[in-house]
Amino acid sequence: MTQWFVLYCREWLELVRSYKLIWVPIVFILLGASQPITTYFLPEILASAGNLPEGTTFEFPVPTAVEVLAQTLGQFGTLGVLVVALSSMGAISGERVSGTASMILVKPVSYGAFVTSKWAAMLTLSTISFAMGYGAAWYYTMALFEAVGWREVGGSLLLFALWLGFVGTLTILFSSLLRSAAAAAFSALAVSVLLSLSASMLPNAFAWSPGNLSKLAASFVMNHTAEGLWLVVLVTFCAMAAALTASAAVLRKRPSLDAA
Amino acid sequence: MNHLLKVEGLAKSFAGSKAVDGIHFTIGEGRCMALLGPNGAGKTTTIRMITGLLEPTSGSISFRYQEPGMDRRKLIGYLPQIPAFYGWMSGKEFLVYAGRLCGMSARAAEASSKELLERVGIADAGKRRIGGYSGGMKQRLGLAQALIHKPKLLVLDEPVSALDPIGRREVMALLSELKRETTVLFSTHVLHDAEELCDDVLIMREGRIAIHGAIDEIRASNRQPVLLLETEGDERSQGWVEEWMRHQPAFVQTAEVTGSGLRLVVNDVGAARRMLLAQLAEADVRVTKLEFGHTSLEDLFIKAVAR
Repeated sequence: MTQWFVLYCREWLELVRSYKLIWVPIVFILLGASQPITTYFLPEILASAGNLPEGTTFEFPVPTAVEVLAQTLGQFGTLGVLVVALSSMGAISGERVSGTASMILVKPVSYGAFVTSKWAAMLTLSTISFAMGYGAAWYYTMALFEAVGWREVGGSLLLFALWLGFVGTLTILFSSLLRSAAAAAFSALAVSVLLSLSASMLPNAFAWSPGNLSKLAASFVMNHTAEGLWLVVLVTFCAMAAALTASAAVLRKRPSLDAA
Repeated sequence: MNHLLKVEGLAKSFAGSKAVDGIHFTIGEGRCMALLGPNGAGKTTTIRMITGLLEPTSGSISFRYQEPGMDRRKLIGYLPQIPAFYGWMSGKEFLVYAGRLCGMSARAAEASSKELLERVGIADAGKRRIGGYSGGMKQRLGLAQALIHKPKLLVLDEPVSALDPIGRREVMALLSELKRETTVLFSTHVLHDAEELCDDVLIMREGRIAIHGAIDEIRASNRQPVLLLETEGDERSQGWVEEWMRHQPAFVQTAEVTGSGLRLVVNDVGAARRMLLAQLAEADVRVTKLEFGHTSLEDLFIKAVAR
């Protein structure tokens, strides 16, 4: 346990020194804040931007506060997922390529601890960043539209953070399987897109799929409940555990590049 | 002799080709062993299997202090050919990190890091980021991190190959000090380094052991007298050399013409000396150099790996 904590502290130090702990939250805050603000000012933006003839009038249905938050989640679902994948794509392959993995793994370090410390750091980073971004969205929604209860926000936050964590876990798994960091990010994104698509096209067949998480989060903030939530959460946790186990096994089999 | 490490039938194949082909050897406790061989002989593969970075295809590796179920990595300190570090960490931070991963307490790791930085001679750079270290400094830090948990066996993969002559000199001096405290296994393709440091050598060729044993014994048992003759290279001397080559006496084992002279491996140095000196004086050969020596380990090494 002490050893795991030492590994985790090193991950934290790297997050701080590589400025990831600054830029990732900033991207999320910008994403989160921009959605309610642009939605609110959309009529004015259009009116001032277009060369429209005098007397053109706009009729926009004013979205409700919860709709704005659900749209924000949509933004996080594309760009946010991309940022999470990019920020953890080199987690294991990077250490292997640079040779630090073979420096560390000849010490009596458990392979599982090595992987899970990276996973925990990824989870911390993505959850903190997303919470800040979603918090910003919530703040501007409250200021520009109307109040939204903390239960809806909290529930959807947890569900969506789980989705981001799941994508990050996939990235770490691919990062232990593939040599190239970019290929790992691409594979993780491709799998997450496939999961989301399959879940929305065939909702009944894929009712258990982690690909439902972003949809569930949006429905939770709008309706305060989400159907079939627990099954999906359970499957996601199991999938993450399996991915980490596989990742540690791959690392044990192939701790460094030239040992392939 | 008490063995520290025992390797039995160790083999590794990559995609059908055998990198290491069933080798057996032991390393005595407190000894310093050089793993020699040309590039591609299987030295690095052997070392990586000992450190546990590579799963052997077959065979076993056992330590004397290894209780059943114990992690072998606890007993080994390893310095790879090109040590890699986190460039954003300072040298001291990396050492403390390495020490704590080996199960040391924060305080013990701190104290030991300080001492080791001092010892490998980079105490001043301890607080600087490793990203700015030179190759020699990284090698020293690599040594320090391999020593942090006081390993029973220090495994070094070509520790001086990548260094400039000064860095090489300094690391060699450090190693000769270290070998008094712990058992060392290091690989190299430079025979001179092995001769300078080691008690034992293990020469590998194409994944097999060509020669294995104490360096002094190998040297003694394979030692043969060598005669080196050089002349001014004038016509008469050249003619004499050619003539001599045609009528070689019985004590000559191998003879070769080297530029303006001769190189002879003989079995009776006394007879050879008497005869050659007399002949040279009689024929009035313009000798510039005449040396009576012995075959070096290098001759043996070349013979072993080129066979």
